[in-house]
Amino acid sequence: MKKPYDHSFHAYIKGIILIGFALLMLALVISGNLVYYIAPTMYPFIYFAMTTFFILGIIQIFRSTSKNDDEHEQHCNCDHDHQIRGPKLVKLGIYSIFILPILLGFVLPDRMLNSDFAKNRGIQYGSGIVTVQAEGNSNEVEQEVSESSTSRADAYLEDPEGYFEYQDAQLYADNDIEHYQFEELYDQDWFDAFYEEFANELEQQDVITVTEENYLDVMTVLDLYLDRFIGKEIEIIGFVFREDDFNDNELVIARFSMTCCTADAGVYGTLVESNDASQFEGDTWVYASGIIKKGQYHEFQIPVITDSYLREVEEPTTPYVYPSYNW
Amino acid sequence: MKKSKSFIGKDLLGFGLLLLFLILFLVSDRLNDNETLNNLPGDWINVNTIFLSIVLEAIPFILLGVFVSSLIQVYVSEETIQKFLPKNAILALVPAAMLGSILPLCECAIVPVVRRLIKKGMPLHVGVVFLVAAPILNPIVFASTYFAFRSEPTNVILYSRMGLAFVLSIIIGGILYAIFRNNSEQLRSSVPTAHVHDHHHHQLNDKKPTLTARLKETLYHAVDEFFMMGKYLIMGAFIAALFQTFLDRSILEAIGTNPYSSTLVMMTFAYLLSLCSEADAFVAASFGSQFTDMSKVAFLTYGPMLDLKNTFMLFAFFKARFVIIFMITVTIIVFTAVMVLFGVIL
Repeated sequence: MKKPYDHSFHAYIKGIILIGFALLMLALVISGNLVYYIAPTMYPFIYFAMTTFFILGIIQIFRSTSKNDDEHEQHCNCDHDHQIRGPKLVKLGIYSIFILPILLGFVLPDRMLNSDFAKNRGIQYGSGIVTVQAEGNSNEVEQEVSESSTSRADAYLEDPEGYFEYQDAQLYADNDIEHYQFEELYDQDWFDAFYEEFANELEQQDVITVTEENYLDVMTVLDLYLDRFIGKEIEIIGFVFREDDFNDNELVIARFSMTCCTADAGVYGTLVESNDASQFEGDTWVYASGIIKKGQYHEFQIPVITDSYLREVEEPTTPYVYPSYNW
Repeated sequence: MKKSKSFIGKDLLGFGLLLLFLILFLVSDRLNDNETLNNLPGDWINVNTIFLSIVLEAIPFILLGVFVSSLIQVYVSEETIQKFLPKNAILALVPAAMLGSILPLCECAIVPVVRRLIKKGMPLHVGVVFLVAAPILNPIVFASTYFAFRSEPTNVILYSRMGLAFVLSIIIGGILYAIFRNNSEQLRSSVPTAHVHDHHHHQLNDKKPTLTARLKETLYHAVDEFFMMGKYLIMGAFIAALFQTFLDRSILEAIGTNPYSSTLVMMTFAYLLSLCSEADAFVAASFGSQFTDMSKVAFLTYGPMLDLKNTFMLFAFFKARFVIIFMITVTIIVFTAVMVLFGVIL
């Protein structure tokens, strides 16, 4: 004789696991740490799942207490193939699979992917969209680190608050850039026009301030029109990353990009030359400002920030950068 | 006596679990700053981050798929499906591919829906067409592929991806029809008994169930099916997270130059990474110029049709022999088609 399937117990445990998932999502939303896992464009889906799980979880617990549950099973016109069958140990194993991610989510620290990961993933210098083969002119890549510090750095040192106000103003200005809309995406010329316009705009600024919002756009523009920006000042925030074959005065300032989740994360970085480079360990967040020049890494022509001033900063509230299209 | 004891034990077990979740919820901020936990090897924190990321990302879409599947279960009768499908098995393939391109379901959501449709009497090979076509042929994937390759002068990759998905889904459906035409009961549970059960039931229960009863049924089904699918998703996500973290991509790029090997490498890669079809185009674009267009199209066509986390779910629902034949067919067809398209036509 087969043991009867204990519907109410399974309904009960499932309900509690659903509430567990909902609590995990809620904790991540409240602490803001969801940003380490999911791109903000996907947040509505998480809110949907969270609410649904809370409701379903509560319904499941009621289902387990209701005496009529067995009645439902008789009336239901389905084949009951989704019962969790097998000996106790198997059932325990199956529920553990669900409980494990909830526990891991609560217990392990929510953290950004680190530079070891970036190394395995392979880093993109510039936007990676256009890869220009360098002309083999290695004179351009000579290490020339001059002593002159940059004016932006001075500006910061003299008037830190004023400097950040300036940065905020820049950020505000960036929001005015009309990001392309869905309807327009079928127009190839329009794509070029967008970056052409964006490049013109950047060219008029005294200093190119790279923000979270324009990060990938600036990377693309620097790739497309590097020649137009040589000698220009740039400031950028990112985490420190090093390739094995770097000199002491070289490091990369990089950001992870994310489209949906960290599985599709990419690493976009800019090579920075600075006398102080060796003082900064991998994964520390730094602010850098310096002059753009044309450089070369392996056989690729890349933008390099030279004469750089470097300073350690706090990890930004949105450590990842996202493609800037509106759905 | 014994029975009531075990009931109390089970109640306590569940209550303890709930209490544990609540406590963790309250202290999770403090755990986040805990030094010992933060000193765990960075690689494993990365695995955890990617694992949770994939799980959290996929859950809403699985939920959507499970809800659609429950709605079909409760509201669509077998007769309706029979009525709308062309009688000719081969003719049914084309409308299936077109319908697949309307359904905006990704590869996580499509599995429970297809399983439900097959249970409701849709022929196996038509279900297969949905399974491979729907994750690629949808407006969101079209848009993201366009964006990822926007700097290409002509959208070879975009149109090859979409075109291949349409044509290949029909071919794959046709081949599986030829193989399984006399043996189309490939779902894991015993479908024949279900039929008996169903008819028996219809005779017994003539009056229509009330709306609340139907709603309740829909929700119960959704939960049970979520748990059925979820365990495979979680296992698949974990293995994919291991590959994501420990696989050094520069090794792959070393093989990237030869057109044949790079196509195979990219297909393997698409399989292991288990990306969502809405985001994989950006990953393909990030491989840069070392990889040929051909291998990128293979990556973008093969990945949504078949990947690691999907395989787990397929093995759960279909008989092992069917899944293996399905996997072999998809692999050979995609590889050959990409070779023909880029070698002969373009």
